[in-house]
Amino acid sequence: MNGLEYLINNFKQFPILIKIVWILSGILFIIIINLLIYLKFLRGYLRNKENIFAKLQSEYESELINYLYASQEEEDPTKLIIVEKMKTCIKDKFNREIFLTVLSKLKNDISGEMAESIEHLYVKSGLIDYSLAKLKSNKWDVKAAGIKELALFEIKNVYSEISKYKDYPKQEVRNEVQLYFVNLFQFKGLDFLNDLKTPISEWNQIQLLEILQKFEDQEITDISHWLKSKNNSVVIFALKLAKIYNQFQVINILLELLAHENKDIRVEAIEVLNYFQTNEAKQILKNNFLNRSTDEQIAFFNMLGGIVEKNDEDFILKNVYHENFEIKTLALKLLKIINIDRFKMLSRSLSDVENQTIFNFLEKN
Amino acid sequence: MKTIVLAEDNSTLSLLLKFRLEKEGYKFFPAEDGKKAIELIEEHKPDLILTDIMMPFISGLEVISHVRNNLNMKIPIIVFSSAGQEEIVLKAFNLGANDFMSKPFSPNELVIRIKRLLMQ
Repeated sequence: MNGLEYLINNFKQFPILIKIVWILSGILFIIIINLLIYLKFLRGYLRNKENIFAKLQSEYESELINYLYASQEEEDPTKLIIVEKMKTCIKDKFNREIFLTVLSKLKNDISGEMAESIEHLYVKSGLIDYSLAKLKSNKWDVKAAGIKELALFEIKNVYSEISKYKDYPKQEVRNEVQLYFVNLFQFKGLDFLNDLKTPISEWNQIQLLEILQKFEDQEITDISHWLKSKNNSVVIFALKLAKIYNQFQVINILLELLAHENKDIRVEAIEVLNYFQTNEAKQILKNNFLNRSTDEQIAFFNMLGGIVEKNDEDFILKNVYHENFEIKTLALKLLKIINIDRFKMLSRSLSDVENQTIFNFLEKN
Repeated sequence: MKTIVLAEDNSTLSLLLKFRLEKEGYKFFPAEDGKKAIELIEEHKPDLILTDIMMPFISGLEVISHVRNNLNMKIPIIVFSSAGQEEIVLKAFNLGANDFMSKPFSPNELVIRIKRLLMQ
């Protein structure tokens, strides 16, 4: 007690600054001790949770395998017992997430009868109800997760429910809706493009095209009304479809798109017409070449590479002095193809370093 | 009894294949990564190897390379690939893989391919 009184008396005699430092040190010491205790507790909690997760995952994996290797009869007693057990287990959110992880992991990797059995178990165990409930959530990520689950387990009869979210403000939700349509309904699933008001992301367009190419039935539906859509991203996507699925029958619409108000669509249309080697596009583009953007002019010169003729020489000569390096190079390259003498003559007359570099390159290639 | 080593990090798929292949009469050793798979291959000298391409620590390509170049084993190797891994599958064939199955695959079809390769 005397010792403590001695310390307090000593502390009282300290200057005010030293007193503040001592008090702050004491507070910091208490905070650090508390944090250390909390971290120890948190680490223990997480490890414990991890162990429970691993144990339950292993248990659910065994149940799933038993379910899949039970007889094909729906009323098989083993199956019924497992379904009843799972119905009870998934009432708890943590257990439900583990069971869903186990089912998803296997559904992603296998196909055929077993994949269908997993879909049945997803429905019979009641997991489908939780996915449907996620659609009603106010959180966009929960909603997107619900749609993703319904797509993974191929639940086709909720089409109209999912359709409600095709123009949802958050892009991630729309992406999942589009993937749901195409994964489950193939080309027919593209009907959502008919009245889509929101944009399709570039990444999702790539994903949709990749999914479509996996299907055995490659018969595409009529794309002409999508090429005329007021939604620019739908038009861009339809242009990609036109190219991949060789839609020659829409060439007239593609020619109309050369006058579209959106520059990206005009450029994409030139590239598709280039792929189809459409001569009609050449005259249209030549007529108003100077009014077009640089990107369109470059796309047009790339197009000329495949369909250039002797009578294009005057037009090409007008552009060999173009201020854009790429257009100038393309023009000289085309000139070399249709009139090598003129090309050599020009090569001798132009003396600046940039032009000589282009000529040297073209002469070697 | 023919022996099969599986290198696959999806534990549920491993368990499913273990159940199925043991039922077909094969001795089955699953590994959750490439490192463990190489240990099992060196220990058990299997008659066939099933390997996923993307795995922790050592990839499927490294497993194939080790089996063909370091262990000089001529046993059949089936590779599991996912969508978009076509280039890697070609590399796997160049390294000495005999067949591949693209995920998602049918376990029944896998069993048929295993039987066919083990009969050759």
